[in-house]
Amino acid sequence: MSHQHCSRWAAAPHRAPFSRPGWRLWPGLIIACALVLLATAGLGSLILEASLPDLSEFWRNRYLRTVVTFTLWQAFLSTALSLLVAVPLARILARQPAFPGRSVLLRLMELSLVLPSIVAVSGLVSVYGRQGWFTGLANDWPGVSWNLYGINGIVLAHVFFNAPLATRILLQAIESSPAPQRRIAVQLGLGRWLYWRAVEWPAVKPVMPGLAALVFTLCFTSFAIVMTLGGGPAATTIEVAIYQSLRFEFDAGQAALLAMVQLVICGVLWWLAARHGLTSSLLPDRRVASHRSKAGSTVWARLGDGAILSVFVLFLTMPLIAILLRGLPGLDLTPALLDATQRSLAIALPAGLMSVSAALLILACAGTASRPVVIRLTNVAACLPLMIPPLVLGTGLFLLFRPSLGSSNEGLVMVTLINGMMALPFVLQMLSGPMGSLDSASRMQADQLGVQGWYRWRWLHWPRMRRPLALAMAYGTGLSLGDFGVIALFGSPGQPTLPVLLYQQLGSYRIDAAAGTGLWLVLLLLLLFSLFNRLGSPLFRAGLKNNTSRILPEPEHA
Amino acid sequence: MLIRAFTLLLLALASASASAEKLSTLTIYTHPSFAAEWGPGPAVKEAFEKTCNCRINYVVLDSGGDILQRLRLEGESTQADLVLGLDTGTMETTRQTGLLASHKTDLSGLNLPIDWQDSVFVPYDWGYFAFVYDTEQLPNPPESLEALIAAPDDLKIIIQDPRTSTPGLGLLLWMRHVYGDQAAEKWQQLKGKILTTTKSWSDGYFSLFMNGEAPMILSYSTSPAYHMAIDKTERYQAAEFKEGHYLQVEVAALVQSSQQKELGQEFLDFMLSAGFQRHIPLKNVMYPATDLGSELPDVFEKLIHPSAPLYFDPKTVTDNRREWLNEWLDAMTR
Repeated sequence: MSHQHCSRWAAAPHRAPFSRPGWRLWPGLIIACALVLLATAGLGSLILEASLPDLSEFWRNRYLRTVVTFTLWQAFLSTALSLLVAVPLARILARQPAFPGRSVLLRLMELSLVLPSIVAVSGLVSVYGRQGWFTGLANDWPGVSWNLYGINGIVLAHVFFNAPLATRILLQAIESSPAPQRRIAVQLGLGRWLYWRAVEWPAVKPVMPGLAALVFTLCFTSFAIVMTLGGGPAATTIEVAIYQSLRFEFDAGQAALLAMVQLVICGVLWWLAARHGLTSSLLPDRRVASHRSKAGSTVWARLGDGAILSVFVLFLTMPLIAILLRGLPGLDLTPALLDATQRSLAIALPAGLMSVSAALLILACAGTASRPVVIRLTNVAACLPLMIPPLVLGTGLFLLFRPSLGSSNEGLVMVTLINGMMALPFVLQMLSGPMGSLDSASRMQADQLGVQGWYRWRWLHWPRMRRPLALAMAYGTGLSLGDFGVIALFGSPGQPTLPVLLYQQLGSYRIDAAAGTGLWLVLLLLLLFSLFNRLGSPLFRAGLKNNTSRILPEPEHA
Repeated sequence: MLIRAFTLLLLALASASASAEKLSTLTIYTHPSFAAEWGPGPAVKEAFEKTCNCRINYVVLDSGGDILQRLRLEGESTQADLVLGLDTGTMETTRQTGLLASHKTDLSGLNLPIDWQDSVFVPYDWGYFAFVYDTEQLPNPPESLEALIAAPDDLKIIIQDPRTSTPGLGLLLWMRHVYGDQAAEKWQQLKGKILTTTKSWSDGYFSLFMNGEAPMILSYSTSPAYHMAIDKTERYQAAEFKEGHYLQVEVAALVQSSQQKELGQEFLDFMLSAGFQRHIPLKNVMYPATDLGSELPDVFEKLIHPSAPLYFDPKTVTDNRREWLNEWLDAMTR
């Protein structure tokens, strides 16, 4: 509210660029409305093509009922387990800010979500499959019989994809918790439980609903993984049923009905999350110095943390090592591979940039708007790309843009746009916390000084947004880099991107080359995440000097 | 700003590359395994462009089903002159859209296991669905579908989902052809042996079969040809089943709204010549649609030669697919 009464101050003769309040509201709102329009167009075109079937038919159809129940059940289980893994891990990682390999571990964690599913599944199967390393060990124990295929495998894969993402987001939240609070907690010598109640939980709480909704939606709409590891058609998600109705039966009515069921279930979740996630960030955040809680510093505590971390590191890296071992013999930097790499980057980098810009505009809009409806609209709109089945979205987009889509190259621009859009929900999750974490004191000061528009962004937000922005950019780019779905939807010209190349190699039985391409993609993603991490780090320019204060613990008052 | 600049740049590049041509262009919708660098696509393009004074432009869609879907969406305004990569499972539905034109190609040179007379679709290759097995894990594979179904449940197989994959649908039709109304019952007996049902052939072959997860996978009878000719290994073989094997035929057709019908017709004729067909055996890993004589690679002699092709008329498939799918779903989820 404060910026409203300050607009008098801002009306000085020299206006800062983009300082009118409209600049903060409209671009984001327009993007949000465009997203909603796109989703409606996709669904609407299906409904127009065929009338909706009777809703009662839905409840009479045993198959559809099973599908919805199963989808909900596996998504619930996967989300619960992912968060159950993520919360303690994030706490440990926050407690132990300086062990060797921490940075590499964080990069690997960022990687898991953006891995193309076929590559990741191959890695998981090598470890947990019938011939896997883990299975061999596990089945040596009396009474243990591990079987990957079924709900086990689905949940395992979903935890592999989502727990590291969740940990990463929670860690960021804990790390940006208000310093004074942490300092007091440390000075009081709070034990783990109290430290959790006083410092960690308040930091984690505002991001939790959005995070849970994000992971749930990802698991809810999961497709190939559920089929590969699910064991049979009893493991069918709504997404599969939609694919079936559209692709094989041309039953647009049923597809629209199923898409709406999916949209309603996920939409309600996001709406709830948006309602509960809004009260964040009114606490002051001025970083003075970092403080380590006492809880993490005793020998036993470190040993315990180390043990849990090691188990997680094994869980995360074993499939990656399997991918490495399998891919190395076939890794050959052919011109085709390098061309595809270039092409992939040419799509992924702008897509990442686009999603980050759109996310910032949407956040600015949500921060400026005074009506809760607008705020919630922006929140839900940004998550729509996750909830609308790609086939439905693709159909809608196609109908909208087709007349102006001349050549396949323009199709590539389209692919870039959609990739950016698909990455939006993730990017938004990365940015919403830090963007809101600007304390009211700084905000008021800036208002009084008339620091508005571009300068406000440059001097107030940028210093603290730098790191999250880099991470968001890495995710946005990484997701597009590993994407196969969108480009397959729009059709590619002869020259493939990396994931398309991988599928082409598979289609031509070049299994080894495909494994090599998979590995190359993983390495490229890893490089990308490291690079963006370097760019986002304040050390990148300031040299190493500042870092020492982070590592040195505050003198402890026993 | 940067985004707009980049978009403009891309658009500029796109229009530059488009305006460089004055030759007529034949746009072909096809799928990845045909258009891939190692598929027959590039060689076929080169060979045809030498004679036609034209350019071929492939638009690569995910699968035969996607070609059909794209065609339906675009309707009369499609830029496709020709579609290549539909099969016996999708061709009837595509015919019903009314968007395809009839051809004038002479079909007398065809060398298919069945008689082919179709005014719209011209076949360019064919193959049998078969279970490919790993001889190191499974020295004595079942010799019939019946033996597979009766085998103990510790023999694991990987199949593909008939709702999302062509071979998956092939197995559904295969079972239906052999067992008729008893198919559901037989599926229930087979269920215990199915390790998993993957979305696509690639998922199963790459992630599971080549990782040694199961000794048998639903694939094509021609798959071992690639392993023998290129990988130089005889480890992977197809199991020959006594009941016969279900047939798949891949086809191409002209698009009704095309401005290049003559050129398209020329391509269809070329498609049945040796210049096109010689790339099929090892690049598409299927049987050529015409007799290549001595040009057929030797490894094709080592493949199984099913006694009877099992085949439903495409119209029968279209009419019954939904019912048969539901029957399968019911049997598998009960």
